[in-house]
Amino acid sequence: MNYFQLFGIEVSFDVDLNQLSQTYQTLQKSVHPDKFAHASSQEQLIAVQKSAELNDAYQTIKQPLARAEYILTLRGVELPNEQHTFGDTRFLMRQMELREMLEEVTHAEDVDAALAAAQQELAQEYQQHFSLLQAQICENTDAANMLACDNLRKLKFYQKLNIEVDRLEDSLFDD
Amino acid sequence: MAYSEKVIDHYENPRNVGSMDKSDPSVATGMVGAPACGDVMKLQLKISADGVIEDAKFKTYGCGSAIASSSLVTEWVKGKSIEEAGQIKNTAIAEELALPPVKIHCSILAEDAIKAAIEDYKSKNG
Repeated sequence: MNYFQLFGIEVSFDVDLNQLSQTYQTLQKSVHPDKFAHASSQEQLIAVQKSAELNDAYQTIKQPLARAEYILTLRGVELPNEQHTFGDTRFLMRQMELREMLEEVTHAEDVDAALAAAQQELAQEYQQHFSLLQAQICENTDAANMLACDNLRKLKFYQKLNIEVDRLEDSLFDD
Repeated sequence: MAYSEKVIDHYENPRNVGSMDKSDPSVATGMVGAPACGDVMKLQLKISADGVIEDAKFKTYGCGSAIASSSLVTEWVKGKSIEEAGQIKNTAIAEELALPPVKIHCSILAEDAIKAAIEDYKSKNG
């Protein structure tokens, strides 16, 4: 049974997150340890395993990038090793510019405005790649799946940048 | 996780940080990235007409090990021919910096940056 089947939904990139969260809570209740207080240790163990599996499934489907990666895996697409070096020069040049832009935020005259502008720029580029990923996963051809892998790797750089932005925001508000 | 003294030294006093004009035909630029951790590394080499690396600069956004690996590489490649530089192995970088297994990919990134720069030089001067 794959993660989508656990929740009784079709394998799809479009997921109703409210529905997913409700189903998740209902399913978790059904395997709650309290229900198995008088059960055999064997049954208790199965319930604990089921609960852990539900949690993994929920976390995977809930997060768009993890969901995309999981769908590609289900399709038998071989994802490039995470440690494998990425060599798209133009993309990486842009990544470097975006990181330089974040560095400059701290020295800007109007830090709040600079931060907001940086966040907007990042969000826009993330969305562009994300929309592409969505379309590629939906298309589900060999070529589109390969492109989706490439896009997924790019989005991971943006994900990292978003973490940096959050950190920057925290450090600015701390002062 | 504890960094080795050499990593800390390169991290605190990075050698040859900076940029060169990438449109200059004698400047080779290698850009590489690691999606797993979002590290981005730029290595630039100034190469003489007879194929010797006269200068090297780097700019890296990443963890201490990634910065140390690229800093070390800029020191190593200077004065070498591009053929010699192309033979630098990540294992030598990892050994010199005493990188733990989880940071080996930083040294791979640095090796790949040299290769990418040499590729760029060859395509420019093919």
